[in-house]
Amino acid sequence: MTAHTDPPNTPTDATEDERLPCGRLLSEVWTAWEDQADDPHLHECPHCGAAVHDLDQLQSAMSGLREESWDGAAPDAASLTRRVMDVVRLELRPGRPLPLGEPDEDLWVMEAVAARKLRAAAETVPGVRAGSCRLRPSPEQGEGGVEVRMEIHAPSGVALAALADDVRAQVGHAADRDLGMPVASVDIRVTDLIDSSADGQEGRD
Amino acid sequence: MTRTSTPATLVEEIARAVTDVPGVAFLKPDLAGRLRSALATPERTSHTAAPPGVRLVRPQHPDGTWHIDIKLVAYSRTRAVDVARAARRAVTTCVASAASENATVRVTVTVTGMI
Repeated sequence: MTAHTDPPNTPTDATEDERLPCGRLLSEVWTAWEDQADDPHLHECPHCGAAVHDLDQLQSAMSGLREESWDGAAPDAASLTRRVMDVVRLELRPGRPLPLGEPDEDLWVMEAVAARKLRAAAETVPGVRAGSCRLRPSPEQGEGGVEVRMEIHAPSGVALAALADDVRAQVGHAADRDLGMPVASVDIRVTDLIDSSADGQEGRD
Repeated sequence: MTRTSTPATLVEEIARAVTDVPGVAFLKPDLAGRLRSALATPERTSHTAAPPGVRLVRPQHPDGTWHIDIKLVAYSRTRAVDVARAARRAVTTCVASAASENATVRVTVTVTGMI
């Protein structure tokens, strides 16, 4: 099914607006605003005003994120930083757009976003470490869906076929539950075996 | 509320409507670029900044097709497709007041991040 219409353009728009139309550097404007510098230009210039507004929005988003995430618990700067950097990485290497929902809905999720969810799902299987996760729309015109190819490190001493089935099930479940992304196939490739006794206490990420 | 929306204000209304959708963290605001800018100051030229995360193309004829492209970041606890659908509904509602009855509204929503 050619169901989905053209994917949205891969982001190529160069909005690297470090230097504002008024000639000021964005970073300088932000610094001045944070330092509450007494610079009349900042109050009069619409470009600087917009830039400050952007920063304000960013801070509001971060505040909202903090409220969403911690529910009154003590802020965790490291976690917050990690999540912000996740967003940055996703913007730098977003991958291709993949279809969400029903055919023709024209809803999309970027590959890197989906891959991160699916890798996390794979790692819910005890002892599994997810590696490369490549996603692409199924070339089958009629079925749609996304083909998943994931590499994993598996714990030694387990039946690999059963383990792969577990991973496949978790990945498929997460694709539906967390994303709403139709999956055509999940190809699991075990690329290494890890000693579970030595690995058991190590943290992830 | 009866005044005619200018292109700029309609885009702003769309942006506001989408941002208000539960599960939407923010519109794709070139956040990486903003953060990069804060950390480094490479010499680059710039263009006038368009409203982030919303691209609106009006039809040439009143009964033509409106194209609205939304790029958003959703909260991780949400289901991406549900947020995208809600965003599409918000956009459609927003544009309905500006588009003619016979016009077609095509909304593309892309989830560019989940945090």
